[in-house]
Amino acid sequence: MSLLQNMKGGRSRPSFPSSIVARIFGQATPGAGSPAILFLLMVPGLVIVAAFFLIPMALVAMRVADGPDGLATYFVILTNERYFASLVQTLVMSAGVTLCALILCGICGLFLVRNRFFGRNMITALLTLPLSFPGTVVGFMVIMLAGRQGAIGAMTDAVFGDKLVFAYNISGLFIGYLYFSIPRVILAVMASAEKLDPQLEEAARSLGAPTWRVVKDVILPGLMPGLISSGAICFATAMGAFGTAFTLATDIDVLPMVIYTEFTRNANVAVAAALSIALGAMTWAVLAAVRFFVGNSADLSPRGGA
Amino acid sequence: MTTQIQLRDCAKTFADGTRALAPFDLTIEGGETIVLLGPSGCGKTTILRMIAGLEFPDAGGKITFDGDDVTHQSIEKRRVGMVFQSYALFPNMTVAQNVAYGLKVHGVARGESDARVKAMLEMMHIEMLADRAIDQLSGGQRQRVALARAIAVQPRVLLLDEPLTALDAKLRVRLRTEINALLRKLGITAVYVTHDQEEAMALGDKIVVMQKGKIAQIGTPHDIYQKPQNPFVADFVGASNRLGGQMRDGKLHIGPGVFDGPGNAHSLHHGPVDVFFRADGLSTCDLENAHFSGDVAAVSYLGERLRLTVSGIGEMPLIIDTDPDHAIAPGSKIHCRVNPDRLTVFPADGGNSSASASATVI
Repeated sequence: MSLLQNMKGGRSRPSFPSSIVARIFGQATPGAGSPAILFLLMVPGLVIVAAFFLIPMALVAMRVADGPDGLATYFVILTNERYFASLVQTLVMSAGVTLCALILCGICGLFLVRNRFFGRNMITALLTLPLSFPGTVVGFMVIMLAGRQGAIGAMTDAVFGDKLVFAYNISGLFIGYLYFSIPRVILAVMASAEKLDPQLEEAARSLGAPTWRVVKDVILPGLMPGLISSGAICFATAMGAFGTAFTLATDIDVLPMVIYTEFTRNANVAVAAALSIALGAMTWAVLAAVRFFVGNSADLSPRGGA
Repeated sequence: MTTQIQLRDCAKTFADGTRALAPFDLTIEGGETIVLLGPSGCGKTTILRMIAGLEFPDAGGKITFDGDDVTHQSIEKRRVGMVFQSYALFPNMTVAQNVAYGLKVHGVARGESDARVKAMLEMMHIEMLADRAIDQLSGGQRQRVALARAIAVQPRVLLLDEPLTALDAKLRVRLRTEINALLRKLGITAVYVTHDQEEAMALGDKIVVMQKGKIAQIGTPHDIYQKPQNPFVADFVGASNRLGGQMRDGKLHIGPGVFDGPGNAHSLHHGPVDVFFRADGLSTCDLENAHFSGDVAAVSYLGERLRLTVSGIGEMPLIIDTDPDHAIAPGSKIHCRVNPDRLTVFPADGGNSSASASATVI
């Protein structure tokens, strides 16, 4: 956004290197440098976007149009009971994962920033470790925990004589995604919590605010940008992640799995394409809504996927 | 209406074992403005936070507001108004919402709260800013909002923690005058923390000078300025020139000069002394009247006076003011004499008792 404004407004003092650097990093220097050079520098980026995003998207969209039902295929996701159920399930699960991750990490992140104790760095490292795990590994770990040979199964078998197994359905996926989301959210919460001014809380308390009010009026608003941006990333990842689901079971009805089975097993290219576009559009819509509500300040770029 | 505050035997040791404050007693009369003055790390903010209820004194300490024991009461119960150096305004609320916050928390009815907020904003001359966001305000405006927010709840004591430090010099003086007028008008008990001696003088009914966790002196601005009780206070309130001297037969000997003991000197025994004075303690003169001669190391023109840094007289360079019309260049020789009524004299060796005097004779 600031880049765009600079390009429109800028028309003085062409001091090449510093102004380019300033623009790329979005500093609000009153315009400098020539827009033509800047545009040239952007070309490689534009080419990559065109080659790996716009063209495939167009092809996918055309596949839908060429399918047996034409553009009506887009509505199949709403009319076909199975697809619709999978859509709802994906949405509910992603929202649930996001909510749980925000609550858990909001508390942990705040605690870790506020308190200095032995082993604090260790806990932070442990909590942020899954950042480096591929979705498949996370799926495998969920199986080790809650699968047929898993730790929870063995324990419940020993205590109650009945194996508790929940790795191979939506609960397992929920656990996996939650685990996967924790590092992203916790890092964002910690970054926001570092910036909280302790004097704001002291001011609120001096005005008579009890703890719950301080949390509601000072701490939560302070953490909100971090919570919203990391929540959006968390949601988008859960909506689209595939590796974990694929490792757990091939019959979990979440949208990415449905797309995969439609495409590979049923060779139903048009429906797979329509579902892909629907999934992409919905995820994009959520991110756009979040951007709209919190402004552009928050960093909403999803990092890595499962 | 106004609240008297007493601190008895209050000390503060932090969790890591650091002694922030040695045990002290302090009484702040109702309606009085007291300034805690000292360099950073002297414990002045810790005292303020103790009165606020953000820190608690070590066991044995007792804090009372008008006789009510509040030692173990937390800040939200104490009804104190706080103003911080960083303003600490709620960024997610408008100016009016900030000022109304304490009233909302206390459950004041909407209509009454609106009226009170309006009155507060008018009192601080910021009624036109009511609907602004905090990030649209200048530093001076923010501190006005913070003051309005703190006094809106009619606190028992107003606590100000270096409220002007973040502002530029001109604004600092203007806002200081306004705060002074406000405190007089409200007649509220106030505790003001600063490291700025001028600010302390301008605002305080009483000044508490702090040094390394101890109270060095309590007194009116006049007492502190004219009759510092120890070298630290003398130095801190601007008498930072120091010369060695001798008390002999009730007379003060400095270099070749012999003087009747100034103000506090009668009480001193025989022996070496340290003499403290401001830039007016020595004045330039011609050679035959001079007590000292020195070399001018630096000259700064301050408008109504010329400030010289002179070396070669004491151990440390001395600051001497002179007529701004004199043409004195760095490197030139200068002669000066002592103004005995401008001196403050303490036994040598950092204010220990005169009995410990064993220093060399000049």
